Amino acid sequence: MFDLPIEGAELLAVEFGDIVDYFSVYTAVLFVFALLFTGLAIISRPEKPVDIVFGGDAYYTKEIPPEQLRFQRFMAIACGLATLGAMVSGDLFNFTLFSSMIGITNIGIVAAVKNRHVLEAAYQYGIVAMVATVPLFGGAAIALAATGTLSIWALAGAGAVPLLAKMFLVVGVMGEGMAPFYIGKAEITRAPGAPYVLMIHVSSLLLFLRVVEIALTV
Amino acid sequence: MSYEIALPAVLVAVAVAFIALVLEKDDLHRLLLTDLAEITGLAIIALVATDLAEALILPGLVVGISELMALSEVYLVKEGLTAAPKRMMHLEVMDSAPAILAAGLVIYGIVLSGFSGGAVAGLGLLFWFFCKGHDEAFAILETASGYAWALWIVAFFVFMIAPQYWLFAVMIAGGAILLKVMAKMALVGTMRGGRDV
Repeated sequence: MFDLPIEGAELLAVEFGDIVDYFSVYTAVLFVFALLFTGLAIISRPEKPVDIVFGGDAYYTKEIPPEQLRFQRFMAIACGLATLGAMVSGDLFNFTLFSSMIGITNIGIVAAVKNRHVLEAAYQYGIVAMVATVPLFGGAAIALAATGTLSIWALAGAGAVPLLAKMFLVVGVMGEGMAPFYIGKAEITRAPGAPYVLMIHVSSLLLFLRVVEIALTV
Repeated sequence: MSYEIALPAVLVAVAVAFIALVLEKDDLHRLLLTDLAEITGLAIIALVATDLAEALILPGLVVGISELMALSEVYLVKEGLTAAPKRMMHLEVMDSAPAILAAGLVIYGIVLSGFSGGAVAGLGLLFWFFCKGHDEAFAILETASGYAWALWIVAFFVFMIAPQYWLFAVMIAGGAILLKVMAKMALVGTMRGGRDV
């Protein structure tokens, strides 16, 4: 579509004036991936986890009331929707907004577990995510100041966006998608509602992949 | 000229905020410093100084505040601070002069009129409730708010049906929005999940 090697063929472009949400082969694959995991978050029922004793054949089951997982499920679905938006957004500023929404929902997914260690991890991650909005919005603002537009469609291939703005964008996305590192620390994957934690990993992975595409395109 | 001075100054402020954030160990202080770093980021956007960039400030502020609120809740749960304090703050001026300060703010708000006037007058009412307690004022506020809404709609009808009476409509709308904003502002901080809710 922009005659750039990373994009692939153009499939569909949805125009809102200057801002064009676009599905190329690349972004469409990311979109479908996000859609798949949003679907999983909607239909999965993790209320009856089974723990297997390591090194033996004993196992035991747990019953978790659905109310306990309701907030986490909501946050996981919201995170999936934000990821869908970030994947096809054709506007630098919309992309930064979707990124910070992914950051907030990731905090929500982690903080839904009422365990002091997990909450501690959620808090530390939240600080990083909050600080990361400074380079994220700063990058968008510098790109805007340098080029006069935020539309990726208009900026594609021109190389007009300064390197500093691209670096700020990447650093900002790194901060917003930092959650999986804190998740490993919190061992939340063994806490109730572990399937929703998948959404954290998926969203941050997809976000990284998309920001690479944006940095190479604009 | 001024931008050449202001931009380096803000970049120094960003650096100071980030260094402070790295050095600080107390969790609550770090939360506050995070907000500080974010405000300096907004200052960078403001100093880009185009109208379009200024349009980025409001979403940035909203995102920042929502994250700050989410993190504050996480902090409260993490530290087990679930009960609201009995008395938030006590200063001498809250005993000696609530009436005159509240009256001054309300009168000045009425002079200002409109949205900003409503905010000032609401601040006066808020100060009054803060000092004197707020047991039975909600019914009055609801009534005033309802009438203000009706008046606001009436003003719109006057604009559309009888535009030659625009001054009358402006006066109604200005007074109504004053009342409405004042009523809303006066509710800030009073709903703490107690017996009044």
